Parts: sequence; C-alpha cells; structure tokens
Amino acid sequence: MPKFTLNGQEIEAKAGQTIIQAAEDHGVEIPHYCYHPDLPIDGNCRMCLVDVEKMPKLTPACTTLVNEGMVVRSENERVKQAVRGVLEFLLINHPVDCPVCDQAGECRLQDYYMVYGLHTSEISLGMKVRKRKVIDLGPMVVLDQERCVLCSRCIRFFDHVTETGEMQFFGRGDHVAIGTFQDRPLDNPYSGNVVDICPVGALTSRDFRFKCRVWFLHATDSICGGCSTGCAVRIDHRDGAIFRMIPRRNPEVNRSWLCDEGRLSFHELNKTERISRPLMKGRDGVQAPVTWEEAVRSIDARLKEIRAANGAGSILGFASPSATNEGLFLFKRYVGDQLGATQFDFRVDSEDKNVLEEEDQILRHFDKHPNSIGAIKLGLMSKELGGIDGAIEAARAGQIKAGVVIYFPPLVRRPCDEEVEGRVFELIDVLEYSVVLAAHKSEWQTAASVVLPVTPWSEEEGTYTNFEGRVQFAGKAIDAGGDALAVWEAFAMLLHASGAESPWMSAEDVFATLTEHVPAYREVTLDKTRLPGVIVG
Amino acid sequence: MIQFTEEAKRRYQTILSHYPEKRAALLPVLTLAQREFGWISQEVAEYIGGLMCYPPSDVLSVATFYTMLHKKPAGKYHIDICKNVSCWLMGVNPCVDEIKRQLGVERRDVTADGKFSWDTTECLGSCGTAPAMQIGDRYYENLTPKSVAEIIENLRNE
Amino acid sequence: MPALPGMTKILLANIDKPDQASITKYRERGGYKALEKALAMEQTALIDEVKASGLRGRGGAGFPTGMKWSFVPRNTNKPTYLLCNADESEPGTFKDRILMERDPHILIEGMAIACYALNCHLSYIYIRGEYEFVANTQQKALDEAYEAKILGPSVMGKDFALDIFVHLGQGAYICGEETSLIESLEGNRGYPRIKPPFPATHGFLASPTVVNNVETLAALPWIVQNGAAAYAAIGTEKSKGTKLFSVSGHVAKPGVYEVDLGYPLLDFINNEAGGVANGRKLKAVIPGGSSVPVMTAAECEGVLLDYESLLKAGSMLGSGGMIVLDETTSMPETLSVIADFYAHESCGQCTPCREGTGWAAKILKNIIAGEGKPSDVDLLLKIADMMEGKTICPLADADVMPIRSFVTKFRSEFEALCKS
Repeated sequence: MPKFTLNGQEIEAKAGQTIIQAAEDHGVEIPHYCYHPDLPIDGNCRMCLVDVEKMPKLTPACTTLVNEGMVVRSENERVKQAVRGVLEFLLINHPVDCPVCDQAGECRLQDYYMVYGLHTSEISLGMKVRKRKVIDLGPMVVLDQERCVLCSRCIRFFDHVTETGEMQFFGRGDHVAIGTFQDRPLDNPYSGNVVDICPVGALTSRDFRFKCRVWFLHATDSICGGCSTGCAVRIDHRDGAIFRMIPRRNPEVNRSWLCDEGRLSFHELNKTERISRPLMKGRDGVQAPVTWEEAVRSIDARLKEIRAANGAGSILGFASPSATNEGLFLFKRYVGDQLGATQFDFRVDSEDKNVLEEEDQILRHFDKHPNSIGAIKLGLMSKELGGIDGAIEAARAGQIKAGVVIYFPPLVRRPCDEEVEGRVFELIDVLEYSVVLAAHKSEWQTAASVVLPVTPWSEEEGTYTNFEGRVQFAGKAIDAGGDALAVWEAFAMLLHASGAESPWMSAEDVFATLTEHVPAYREVTLDKTRLPGVIVG
Repeated sequence: MIQFTEEAKRRYQTILSHYPEKRAALLPVLTLAQREFGWISQEVAEYIGGLMCYPPSDVLSVATFYTMLHKKPAGKYHIDICKNVSCWLMGVNPCVDEIKRQLGVERRDVTADGKFSWDTTECLGSCGTAPAMQIGDRYYENLTPKSVAEIIENLRNE
Repeated sequence: MPALPGMTKILLANIDKPDQASITKYRERGGYKALEKALAMEQTALIDEVKASGLRGRGGAGFPTGMKWSFVPRNTNKPTYLLCNADESEPGTFKDRILMERDPHILIEGMAIACYALNCHLSYIYIRGEYEFVANTQQKALDEAYEAKILGPSVMGKDFALDIFVHLGQGAYICGEETSLIESLEGNRGYPRIKPPFPATHGFLASPTVVNNVETLAALPWIVQNGAAAYAAIGTEKSKGTKLFSVSGHVAKPGVYEVDLGYPLLDFINNEAGGVANGRKLKAVIPGGSSVPVMTAAECEGVLLDYESLLKAGSMLGSGGMIVLDETTSMPETLSVIADFYAHESCGQCTPCREGTGWAAKILKNIIAGEGKPSDVDLLLKIADMMEGKTICPLADADVMPIRSFVTKFRSEFEALCKS
C-alpha cells in the first residue's frame, strides 16, 4: 500500500492504483475526460496532467502508478496552466451549442471551464472545424460529431464491454470524427450507456432529447425494477414525472452500466391507466369504489369466514416478485401469521429457475422481476403448488377457496407476458373470493372480489433482494396518484383491521422488524442496504 | 458483390502467412484491396471485414487513417505532388498550377474520362531532386511545369 | 574539432559502385563477412560491442543503440522482435531511401547482425508506402539473401533461424514514431502508445521489441568487421561515427553525403553541398529535418554537425535532413508550409496536438493571405507553449520547434504581414 504526498497531504493508496484513482478515493478530484473507472485507460485527453516531483514533464494522473514516496501536485500554477491550455484547445473547435444541447448543466466542458478556464476565445467562428450534427444512431442515441472531444470512451465501451465494435474513429488529425459504419444504428442491448459516459453532448439520449433541462430534475437513488440483476440507478424526476433513469456505479453489481430495456423501463408505468381507488364487488357482482377502511374491514371479515368454513389451508397467498421486501413481509404476516394460511407462491412463470439464469454475459437476467429471491427468502415459494399453474389447479379442485394476490406486470416486456397475464386472469376467475393488489388497471381484475390500488416500483421506498441475495435500498421518487398505498401500508391496515399489532409508520420500520424475524436478514441494517448493498444468507 | 479474384485471394493468403497474428495483415490487405478495387469504399470495408472477421467500422476506421488509401474513387493515374518545404522552395507551385491546367479538376476529383486524379502530398523523400511527384509506384523528380505537362501527356496517350 | 581529411565512408562506401544491389557484387566487395564474424560471437558480447562503439540512433532521437538493445529482457518466453524503421518521412530527409535503393544488402546484413544479438527470429522492415519502388528493390535483395541461405531456417549454416519481411505503410508520418510504428504493424490506426511500458518489454504483440532506423542498422556490418574502437575513434567524444546528411533547398549540389560527426556545418554547406545556389546569400538553415529549430546564418558560425554542438546552438541534429534557405525566402510562408505538414500528419489522438497543430496552421494561412492580426504573432507562440511537453508523443513538440524558432528569430517578417 504505497504512501505518497498529494498537494501536501500524505495519502495511502491501494496497491496498483494510479494517481487519479488514489486521489478520487481521498476526495481530490483531478479533472479528466477520457479516464473512466470501468474502461481501459487511454490517456489521450491530457486533462489530468499533474506535476510529479523528479519527472521533467507533467504526467497524466490516469496512466501513472502511485509509487512509494511520490510527491504529486495537482493544483499548482504549472498544472493549472496546462489544464487551462488543454481546455482552451478543446473549446476552439467546439460548437457554441449550449442553448440547444441536452448536456448543458451536466457538461464537463462547462463545468471545467468555470473552474479552470474562464478565458476568452481567441479563435474566430469561421476557423472552427465543422463536422456533422444530429446523426440518428438508432432508438437510444443521437450523435453530434462537432461536440465530440474525442475522448474515445464510447469506442472503448463498444470494444471492451459489449465487444461489438460499432463506434470508431474515422479520419486523422483535427478532422477525426466518431461514428458508426454507414451511420448504422447501434444494435446492442447496452447502447444507452455511451450517453452516460460521454462527457459532453456528442452522444445524447433520444428518449430524453429536449424534454427537460437537467437543473430542474430531482434525483432519487434507487434500484432498477426490470430484472433480478438489481442494477443501481438514479431516477431523475420532476413534478411527479420520471424523465430518465441513469446508472449509479456499483462495482459489485452493474459497475457503471444499465441495459437499454432497464433504462427505459420506467415508461411502462405510464402505459396504462391506474387504479385510483379500492374497488369492491357489491351484492350485484359489480365492482364499485369504496374507502380503504371499508375495504380492509370487509376483506378481513370475509377471509375469516372462509377460514372458519374451510380451514386456513383454503386461503392462498400469491405474491409478486416485483413487490418490495417490506410489502412481502407484511403480506406474509397478515395472510400467514394472522390468518394462518399455509399456501404461498409467487411464480407466474419459472422465476425461481430464471432468477439465476443470465440472459447475457454483461448484466441481464431472464427473470424480469427485481425481488424473486426476496420472495423466496420470505418463505413465499411452495413446493406443493409449484407456481401459478398448481394454484389454479388447487383452486379448481376446490382445495383453495380464496386468495390474496399481489400482481405487478414486469417493467421489461416480453412476448410471453400476455400469456402469463392470462394465467393470472384464470386464477382470479377460479377463486371464489379474491383480493387483488395492483397498480394498473387490467381486464382480469374485473373478476376480482376486491381490488386494492398499490404503488409500483419507484413510487414507494423499500428493499429488493437480487439474484445473488444482495439486498439493496430503492428510494421513492414520485407519488402515486389517487388513493394508492404502498403494499406494506395496505397490509399494515389489514393487520390493524384484523386486530393484530400494526405499529409501523414507515417502510424503514417494517424493514427493522423484518431483520428481527427473518434469519437471513439478521445482521442487516438499512444503512447496509445502500450502495453497494449487502449479500444476505 | 465485390470479391477478390483468385489471384488476389492467393496473394491474401501469402500476406497472412507473413505474420504471427492475423490482425497485423490488415494494412497490407487493405493495400491489396485498393489495388484490386481502386479505392476503399464502404463496400470494400465490409468485404474485408467479412473476410477477416472484423466489424466493417473497424476496417474503415483503420483505412481512413492512412493518406494513401483513397476514401473516394481515384483516376487510373493518381498524381500525388509534394507540397512540403524543399519542393516548395524549389518551385512546386507552378507545377501544381500546370496539373490543374492540364487536368481541369480540383484536388481529389477524377477527370471525366476516369484517367486522372490528383492531390497534394507530404514530403516524398525526393528533396534533393525537388520538385517531385508520385504516380503509382513511380517517382517523377526535378519537375518543371513543362516536364509535368509532358508526363501527363504521355500517360494520356497510353 | 577541425574536419578530418579523407573522412571514413562507412555507409556510402560502395553506394555508387555498379550493381551494388546484387548479392554477388555485395559479397565480392566484402559483404556478409561481418555477419559471419558476428555469428561466431556470443550474443551478449555482440551487444557490448555495439555499446562500446557509441553508435546512436540515426532516425532522429539519437538514443545509444547498444543501450536500447540491453533493455530487452533475455529470459522471457516471448519472442523478441527487431523492427527496422524505414518510414522516412521527416521533411528534408531522404538518406534511408538511398541506402535501400542502392545498397539494400547493407541493411539486410545489419538487420541480421542485430537480430542475432537480440535473439530475434522474425523481423520486419516497415517501409513508408510511398517508397514502394524502394521496397521492391529491398524485397529482391531479401529474395537473394534467402536463396543464398543468409536468411531462413539456418542463417549461414548456423543454428539460427531468421525471417525478414517487408511491411509497407500507407501514408502516415506519425508511423515513424516507434510505438506508432508498432501499432500500425499490428494492424491498427497508428496511434502512439503511452510509455511506460516501453517497447523493450512490451512492443509488437506485447513482446520485447527494438525499433531501429535504417541508417543505424546499416552501420553495424562495419562496426562488427572493424571493431567498436575503430568506430568510436571517429567523430567526437559523445557523437561517435559518421552520419548521413541529406541536404536540399537552395544549394548547388543537393544530395546525400556521409561525414564524420563533428564536421563543421558551414563547411558542409559550402563544400559537400556546393554552397548556396545562384550566388545568393545564406539566410537560414534547418539542420536536421523540419522538426528541429531553424538557425539563422549567423547562428551557424562555428557550429559542428554533431548532437551536442547543435543542441548547444539551440537546434538539433535530428534526422540529418538539412534544408538550406537563401535570402529570397519568405520565412512566414516557409513556416506555413511546415505547419500545414504537422496539422495534416497529427494522428489526432491527444488534445493539444490535434487542436494546436490545426489552429496554428490556420493562423499562418491567414497571415500569409494578409488577413492576420498583429496579436496572431504572439498567439502562435502561445499555442506553441500550450502544446509543448503535454502530449503522448513528440509530434506536437516537432511543430513547436519550427513555430517558436521561426517566429522568434524572424519576427519582423511576421509582423510585417500582420499590419491591419
């Protein structure tokens, strides 16, 4: 562990670290474009030049390994001049696009100019090198060659991460431009990442294009709800609407990447209408809106009736592997502990098998639910039922009379989803009495006895446990509309209506109780579920 | 659909055999491709990419780095005339003017009969015999506007 | 140090003799005897001999050749590569061409000696694409060498295999930089590499590699045959041996000449190069290729043609590509021609060179066209300062040298064009 001096302060670096990495670990930011912690080092931008004693020339902090006893200066006049020079060079051919460029507000040229530049341009507009603008590179990415600072991050991403090699440099000298062959659209499931890593507005998101200036956005740390990988994300939103989702760096799960499907998955939340109020079938068999109080009282009474008549085994608890641990925990507590039900499952497809099955070598899993392992660890997987088909059979055979069903359709859609929802419909149809907790309206809900509006991913906070058993905290970004409550809130109300203890005031409270009662989560505190999360037993 | 001739394919195999790794053959193969097809078009890049199993973007990226690989069609005789220091000192500009006069096309454009194109180029290593130009694998040195005209005329009549 | 009468001809000894390019004539005149002698030596002893000779890289950097060879680790299980840098593209330089065109076997023999010393069995001559006709001659000589069993599985009957291939570039000056050459040889865009690691340990295909210039390698047969001490006796204390100078521009006898290092610069111009042509006066000299600072006529007084003397005089020996400028020369126009070259040849990889070379060239074009501002003169110097020492390879510095020296030493000419 080499010790070295940075700007007068002694620092201990990890073995094999470069100056820029050691500096970052200790809160010293060295300006850079081409360096990226998850891409091979290139050293071409020359922005991270630092002064190392005994080296005659300034050296890039990203390519220079820390040696014991090194004396490094990143903030002296010599370095500042060099950095200002590099910045001026980058700006001479850069178009004055800020007013129409999406990168404004999170652009490294702007940011570094305010800190290191503040110079007046000495090149006339007519002298600037012109390149092509607004090149359509497919559904995710728009390219503007003029804005590019040729840092090669995008090229290295496609060469080393997706290994598809679509983007390359063409030409030589100051006419070099990035692009694809024949402007062909990017055709891989991770193309959106180059928008994140592009430090300027050369590669921008087609989905986000011109929608909102970034300084109006609020950021919420969360976990992607698209599949069982559980990539760390940041949800950017404003006034109750999500505008985009970008990855947070979790070296242990997704590094700096997100798949395109996951990135756009938040759009799924707005595709169909929401259930705004609890609905209950009256004597005439038609669903009518009721209050939550009315609904939970009625539900509890009815389920107790059915239990009395047919035994606790006639009640089915069918969870959603997209619900949070908090929601599933109180679900089990109500349906299982309070009502005594013993039949639980959550599988509408083969989530238990798919949860571990990788869809590719980079990030994606086949299981398009974020919390299948969470459901399993809470004891919601029945060997006898074997999934929804078993439940439907048992219901047809009369063994199961009633069911409490949480259902969230996946945010990342597949062709088989329709068929899957058909099975949910079947289940609800067959059950004599069904309580459905869902967010979005769907035809199959009309068969349910009670429909309770609950909040989906991003509209409640909670934890998810990913494919490897890593529990991670997902924040609440926006409010659900109408009378929707979080899943855990719904069951807290049911427990209360049922006469059981129901002291929880927040998802955090529920999680604390969960860690006390579920052996796998014993050592976990909510803090530990923040980045990078913690793997539970 | 463009393809190497049998002869070119044999040459291709020979080139590959010179190197311990296939990638090192890419530039000589691109040179061979230019000989066969006249210039490195996108079609050629795609063909070479398919032949050697590289993405066409990669192949074209390499090709566009090197000045001698044409990015657009060239004439049967492509004239590269040096515009660097010694040639300039020894009077290459009138020679360039003569080329323009003789051919009537701008830099990198092809004459209507497809016979000629021209460009300026960097130091050819003929500084002691400047001004100089290169056509194909031949150098023409100690140029004057008159000798330039003669050279072009001779090629025109070939 | 005064000029020695009757200087030694090491490289150009047989250059004008008939059929020197044929192996028969080459051998008749003593060729390949040095290789025979080298093959009987210990490889490490051979490296020591080259070290002792004081031979320095003749491509432009002047790095001691024996020392470069000694950086190659000898006990890895990776192959070692010797690459001959025949990318000669430095404006004003045409010396390697002469050697390969007229005496190709001297290079082959030199390479074989080097390969034996380094235990290299596969070697390439990277020749600039424009020199295709030169490459053909070189290839013919290689074919002859294979035929004579000087190359192949058993070099001159010894238990040492060696293959040498010609590899043509396709027009990129930057590929003369050793790491760019390696990148290009590997089949990529010729982007220079970050150092460390150095080619000696991680070069071609991540293996130990030495890149040597044609002229450097061509000196080896004489050194082996006559001994390091004999070579070291020529030249000055730190600049041993002879150097080829290719002189062009406003001289009566442009061409390639071989002189002992330490020979006076003005003597060279007036004697070997025949003096300034057309009875004009000397104005300026670029002694070693466009990448070195220009010298005024006055600055040339007393300067010797060796690495140290030229450095002390504020310029460099470089490639030995000397360009002579007479009194009729417009220095701003000359600089504009030079600046265009660097802008065209910048690979574009790193910011200061990519942007700076292009910007400087545009400013100079403006100045020449009469559209320059007075502030442009200082702006050129500022751009030079901004580029210098901040890039991955020395191409930017090679643009800085002429810009700074031309503008500083001939400032009035620039200012005259910028009167608004």
